[in-house]
Amino acid sequence: MKISLNWLRDYVALDAPVEEISRAITFLGFEVENVIRTGAPALRDVVVGEVLARDKHPNADKLSVCQVDVGPAGGVKTIVCGAQNYQVGDRVPVALPGAVLPGDFVIKQSKIRGQSSDGMMCSAKELGVAEDAAGLLILGGRPAIGTPINQVLPPGDVVFDIEITPNRPDCLSHLGIARELSAWFKLPLIYPQEKFRGDLDDAPDPSALRNVSVLSPEDCPLYTAHIIKGVKIGPSPEWLQRRLAAVGLRPINNVVDVGNYVMLETGQPLHAFDARKLGGGEIVVRRAADGEKIVTLDGKERVLTSRMLVIADGHRPVVIAGIMGGENSGVGDDTVDLVLECAIFRRQSIRWTSRRLGLSSDSCYRYERGVDPHTALEAAYRAIDLILEIAGGRVSGPAYRVGSDVPWRREIVVTHDYICEKLGFDIPADEMRAGLEGLELSIEREELTEARGPAWTVTIPSWRDDLDRPIDLVEEVLRLHGTDKIPAAVVTAPGLIADDDPVVLFNRRATDYLVGHDFHECLNYTLRSAREIGTWVSETAAVELALANPFVDDQSHLRPSLIMGLLESLKLNQSRGVPASRLCETGRVFIERNGQNFECAAAGFLIAEPIGEKAWLKRPAADFYTAKKYIGALAAMAGVDLVRQALSPIAGPYYGWQEGQSATAGEMAQGWTARFGLLSLPMVTSMGVEGKVYAGIFAILPEKLTAETTRRRYVEFSLQPAAFRDLALVVDAAVHADEVRKGLAKITRTAVGGAFVLESVEAFDVYQGQGLPEGKKSLAFSLVFRSPERTLTDDEVNVVFQKIQDEVAKTTSWQIRK
Amino acid sequence: MQATLTALVAKAQTDLAALKTRPEFEAAKARLVGPNGELTLLMKQMGAVPKEDRPALGKLINETKGRLQGLLDSALRSIAARELQAQLGPEVDPTLPSPDAGPGTYHPLTLVREEMCRILRKVGFIVADGPEVESEYYCFDALNTPADHPARDAQDTFYFPETARFGNVSKKTPEEKYLLRTHTSSVQIRTMLKGPPPIRIVSPGRTYRRDTTDATHSANFHQLECLCVDKNVTVRDLKALLDYIFASLLGRETKTRFRPHYFSYTEPSFEVDLSAKHLPKVRKEWIEIGGCGMVDPVVFAGVGYDPEVWSGYAFGMGLERLAMLLYGIDDIRHFYQNDLRFLKQFA
Repeated sequence: MKISLNWLRDYVALDAPVEEISRAITFLGFEVENVIRTGAPALRDVVVGEVLARDKHPNADKLSVCQVDVGPAGGVKTIVCGAQNYQVGDRVPVALPGAVLPGDFVIKQSKIRGQSSDGMMCSAKELGVAEDAAGLLILGGRPAIGTPINQVLPPGDVVFDIEITPNRPDCLSHLGIARELSAWFKLPLIYPQEKFRGDLDDAPDPSALRNVSVLSPEDCPLYTAHIIKGVKIGPSPEWLQRRLAAVGLRPINNVVDVGNYVMLETGQPLHAFDARKLGGGEIVVRRAADGEKIVTLDGKERVLTSRMLVIADGHRPVVIAGIMGGENSGVGDDTVDLVLECAIFRRQSIRWTSRRLGLSSDSCYRYERGVDPHTALEAAYRAIDLILEIAGGRVSGPAYRVGSDVPWRREIVVTHDYICEKLGFDIPADEMRAGLEGLELSIEREELTEARGPAWTVTIPSWRDDLDRPIDLVEEVLRLHGTDKIPAAVVTAPGLIADDDPVVLFNRRATDYLVGHDFHECLNYTLRSAREIGTWVSETAAVELALANPFVDDQSHLRPSLIMGLLESLKLNQSRGVPASRLCETGRVFIERNGQNFECAAAGFLIAEPIGEKAWLKRPAADFYTAKKYIGALAAMAGVDLVRQALSPIAGPYYGWQEGQSATAGEMAQGWTARFGLLSLPMVTSMGVEGKVYAGIFAILPEKLTAETTRRRYVEFSLQPAAFRDLALVVDAAVHADEVRKGLAKITRTAVGGAFVLESVEAFDVYQGQGLPEGKKSLAFSLVFRSPERTLTDDEVNVVFQKIQDEVAKTTSWQIRK
Repeated sequence: MQATLTALVAKAQTDLAALKTRPEFEAAKARLVGPNGELTLLMKQMGAVPKEDRPALGKLINETKGRLQGLLDSALRSIAARELQAQLGPEVDPTLPSPDAGPGTYHPLTLVREEMCRILRKVGFIVADGPEVESEYYCFDALNTPADHPARDAQDTFYFPETARFGNVSKKTPEEKYLLRTHTSSVQIRTMLKGPPPIRIVSPGRTYRRDTTDATHSANFHQLECLCVDKNVTVRDLKALLDYIFASLLGRETKTRFRPHYFSYTEPSFEVDLSAKHLPKVRKEWIEIGGCGMVDPVVFAGVGYDPEVWSGYAFGMGLERLAMLLYGIDDIRHFYQNDLRFLKQFA
């Protein structure tokens, strides 16, 4: 909110420099977003002068030598001037030697190109009045020669644009900020003098306002109305207009302006009706009917609902309560009798209505944040004083007051030691007391406790509803002490027996691994478009992943995979002509299963064909098995051994993967899933991405990632030499290698018995084509045997190897390829 | 005989020098010194030599044998050298670029996050994590943010439909709605609910606000928060931590200052400014870097900690903002576009 320094000075005699006041506001806890200077600053030795003569400077084309009358005190001065926009007879501001202009520009008697000059005629910019530097400020209205310039120019002001935190609605007013500054600078706070104390000038005459009823008391705990008869509507006096203009309000007429003025002074919004326009001579505070309409002061028709509170007359709504008045009931030039409303509305109700209508106002802003009901009447009286003073009239009866005013009383007991303990350093008790009392947190009683220093019973004023507990007073004490004075200290750090979260460790290891394998780590938005999601998950899953209130269409769903973002990054780089091949990301993905979403930790990567990149030496391209290697490593980091898991091809209309070129393992029922291989070529191509893209993603429920609680145990291994045998099997082309490997391993283990150990069985060759029947392929396996305690003889291995072959021939459909 | 031996050596010299492969060598060797080799045959003629000539001849033969062996060795060496050369191929041009991709790069936000975590780990903080989808309780209620607080408004927070179910994100009450967390402070609550103090955690993570994307705003962004709960934790300790963090991050001359502020979950609350003269592209003396304060007793009571026994502080900041300050980045969108020309600048 905008706060005028001149205005503040009505309540507190601030004489500190502006920078210091600005700093005080900042360290009181209100961010100063901007300091705006208006009008002229206080200028000493700058007076009105009249140009009597203007001659060309003998030594300079663009300068003139002028004779300037600066009045009885100064007489006629010779002044050299470079401006061109003035004539003999013009009255202009003259800075005499000794004057200090803004920017610490000291005026001295000087010689300019050999011609002595006894001062300076000034532009508006030089005086700090305006930005315009086109020439001298020509003073209109022929002010008396010699008059100090501040008497001629509009007075200067400084306006602080301040952010008020939501806990301090009391500071949405000049008085509130003045109170803070009075405490900071240790100056008294001067309240405005109030004359009206509720005594009516006239005998009650119900004809102006017959009745006030509040039908919705929960939304309007207090409603007061005063009748002022015989006012004369007109423009506000200049001082009032100037104050409103300084803080950004447009002056309207004397009554409306007083309402705004008192709101900006006290924080209490007010509203004035033209009594004649209140149909039926009554005010009804009620909920609107659904569909009821009102044209607000901004000229727009608003359609209301039954949750919205209105002030109505006998027939129709005249104000959207606390937010904005209607065109139909406002004070106009011909208004004679007023009804002045001063009310308290429930914050939530005002906020809801304001949001719903997309309509806010200064009044609404204050009601939303909380207005002190215990000082409402004071504000009404203050407004009545000002109206009577400015617009005339007399207070007539009856005065209405609907609603209860529960008396305010709050005390907090706090000890000096408690405050010091919370702060971690000492502030003298006297300083604390002075600080609290400066904020009108008066110390009712001081008792000396045995162990905790003085205990204070602090009375909390009604406008400080935010203060409720001893800890709240710690903040008040510290604010006034100065948060920039907290003494330095060293960090004490006891060792805790705990480690980083398993998800953090997983992300860190996965990123380290992938970056170590030449991937570029990316970060993509979590929220994706419906269209994009549709490529990756079923329609039912997409429904579950949707936000209720997306902000923009292309960020409406949670991401079920990291790959879509990585593809987008790939596309961006390709379209910008930046070679990109290996991208990775770790982060949260959201996987739907049976109508429930599961938030998973995930690591993903993609490898694109390097498009447009020429190399003097060709490297083999990445393929499915490249992706398999990386996904295996990522799974291992999450404690999943992919070798032991069933892999199945990805099939189906969704999921973005190329059928026959990709695989999946795990599922949400197990708490993790892995997908990898070639991305759907048609999808990738339709996105405008060139070339084949291999990718992989491993996702796991965070709760499945647990820290390893038992240490690995060392397993002994044999130092004896190994024996090797190779065996090629002709099998159906559709059979997966691992199925054959597992079968062969089982047969082999049986054949070996307990004699020695089968160390490994791995496929090392795959062949299909000439020399083999149609629909068959040959898989060659390498068998490694070893004994823990001796060198194996050829003979004993041969015996076993023969047994294996016999068993394969006997029990399987595989042919041994010789 | 002597002439024959001399001729044999001379011939061997020529023949062996021409050998290129090991089989050729083996054949030549056999031809010379093998069981039926020329020298062997000559040696077999020794018997026919008169006895008195034998010592001289024997010496001559031995010399010849030695010379042949020398020739053979040298031939083998040159074959081995040739083989090695063939195996090695031509000399490399060390100035050609590697055709392999690389090296990989860490995202700048990861670099900043990990640096902050390292700094905090040194003073006893561990890194905590929590869900990005949260319920109203953990994101707001437990942090003393009342139901009608503007931050909770659907205008500022992403909500899920009332029917949405998240299998592994717990709610406090069945009625509350799921949302995308607006700050990482929810991790504080979940951590405190897990066990008793003392606690020292740092929780970096993604957060969400319903906001226009522009140079300084992004629908999702990252925060980093610290929470410390122990006995006798003071405002002064909080200030000490922040001084330590930023002196570690930006150098010993870096200063921090507190300005009073308001957050619903801390009391007192402060905004933290950083002396900024040495930061790139900053022309102000102080810049705001985060918010902090002493954990409000209401928050402690809500998680079952006795506010009379325990005290603590919390500090939070935006990671993008920090990274932008550290690196002089002026548009937050760079972090989410992943242009490699951007990503490669930091790692």
